[in-house]
Amino acid sequence: MTSETEKILIVDDDRDFVEALSAFLEAHHYVVLKAHDGREGLKLAKMEHPDLIIMDIIMNERTEGFFTVQEIRRTVELKTVPIFILSSLYSQVTDFGIPPNSSWLAHDEFLPKPVNMPELLERVQRRMEERHRNPETPVGGKAEM
Amino acid sequence: MDTYLTQPGQEKSRTSEPAEQETIVVIDDDYAMRLSCRKILSKMGFRVETFEDGGQGLEGVTKLKPSLAVVDLKMPGISGMELVTRIHEVRPETVVVVITGYPTVDTAVGAMKCGAYDFLPKPFSPDELRLIVNRGLEHHRLSVEMQRSEMERALLKRRFITFVSHQLQTPLVAVHQYLDVLKQLDSMESAAKRQEWLDRCLKRTEELQALIKDWLSLARIEGESFSRQWVKVDLQGVIAEILKTYEEMAAANGVCLESRIPDDTYFVVGDRNCLSVIFDNLIVNAIKYNKPNGKVTVSADALGGEVAIAVADTGVGIPEKYRPFLFEEFFRVERDETRKTPGTGLGLSICRKLVSEMGGSISVDSEVNVGSTFRVRLLEYRARAEEEEKKGSSR
Repeated sequence: MTSETEKILIVDDDRDFVEALSAFLEAHHYVVLKAHDGREGLKLAKMEHPDLIIMDIIMNERTEGFFTVQEIRRTVELKTVPIFILSSLYSQVTDFGIPPNSSWLAHDEFLPKPVNMPELLERVQRRMEERHRNPETPVGGKAEM
Repeated sequence: MDTYLTQPGQEKSRTSEPAEQETIVVIDDDYAMRLSCRKILSKMGFRVETFEDGGQGLEGVTKLKPSLAVVDLKMPGISGMELVTRIHEVRPETVVVVITGYPTVDTAVGAMKCGAYDFLPKPFSPDELRLIVNRGLEHHRLSVEMQRSEMERALLKRRFITFVSHQLQTPLVAVHQYLDVLKQLDSMESAAKRQEWLDRCLKRTEELQALIKDWLSLARIEGESFSRQWVKVDLQGVIAEILKTYEEMAAANGVCLESRIPDDTYFVVGDRNCLSVIFDNLIVNAIKYNKPNGKVTVSADALGGEVAIAVADTGVGIPEKYRPFLFEEFFRVERDETRKTPGTGLGLSICRKLVSEMGGSISVDSEVNVGSTFRVRLLEYRARAEEEEKKGSSR
């Protein structure tokens, strides 16, 4: 069903969270890349071009995730990669004071923490299928800043 | 901003070739000067725009948002000094470098006062221009990075309670996620893995308990329901008691504890419980962030009516950039070694609150990979007694 080469990058400063999530995704035959801060995440994203990115917002006492998403969207090859944004603090991005039509966030998905595993899997599979059907579709939108 | 904005493979050439082309604006009424500045700076890989007077220059700065502006001080129209001020009004981030054919100390000081970052007397060599521009741009990058860091911090500080709940949620989320995945993947995880995860769950619940405990004591200190008695306290008594409590922990970490405070020598004015909390935190930190075969030394010194108590370790040290935030609530130094060390990020802010309540102060000296020394200054008991004696005799 899913191919071994589909890569998911998880960026989260909580190592236990990353461990649990990656074990689950690996069990469903995804290749998981792990990063524990924005800088490391950005570097891995640029090097490995993952098929999907799961990004925590609050890392290291700051809203590092938002800035990392912005940086990712500034990179040409990463403009269309789907990004799932996670946070335990709020249930939607607008709660952070981010306008809902922000071009760098508008096409990404928001998931509250703790993550509901079956739901995550379903969303991941859906995104991967969309990408396979039409790899040229810019999932991340125009992503202009 | 170093590698953060650069593409992979581009990092090495960063100094000569910026990842994002930076814009530099040159404002000078002298055509030859504009031309040569453009030539030198374009070669360095920057986008260079030139303007021949202050009015146009200011418009250019507003429109182009340059990282750096080179401004001639002596121009017709708006004066150079005024231009520097106006540039800072429209775009405080732009670093301004002033050039002038009439270099005096007064003009240099005047330009700096208006907000110029640096000063270059004419005539100058291409190397001098390159050097000063590179230095100015480095300053610009650093301030942009700092500003971003502050913005991120401010976003959270504005909602402190929200932040606290995030800190409380984090361990809970980790435990929940482990349990959920264990449930989902019941058949495939090895027994050893399951055991490891359950151990992690226990660790994280302990972390949560410690966090709630610290958070409560911080709230109690602030809420003043913490009863305090200001009395004469023998430091050695307090320290010895704490060191005894942590002998086992220190031995397990391969750390040796030592008190160099003699009995019945140093007395301070304070609350015994508060003092215990303060030195408990400092000594535990000194053990936790130490290295194998490391040492924790507690010493005291009396000076000018105060007693300075030093808790010194031979551990990992604290990089300078983190030191200003060290006593802030929930601050933890970002580092691989410390990630493995449990901590709530509240200990030092509790210490600072208690120390300042007793009229004292706390500070830190540190060197990375050599160790850190926390110094607490408290009012010496003798000094207070003498003060009161004086008051009594003058009555």
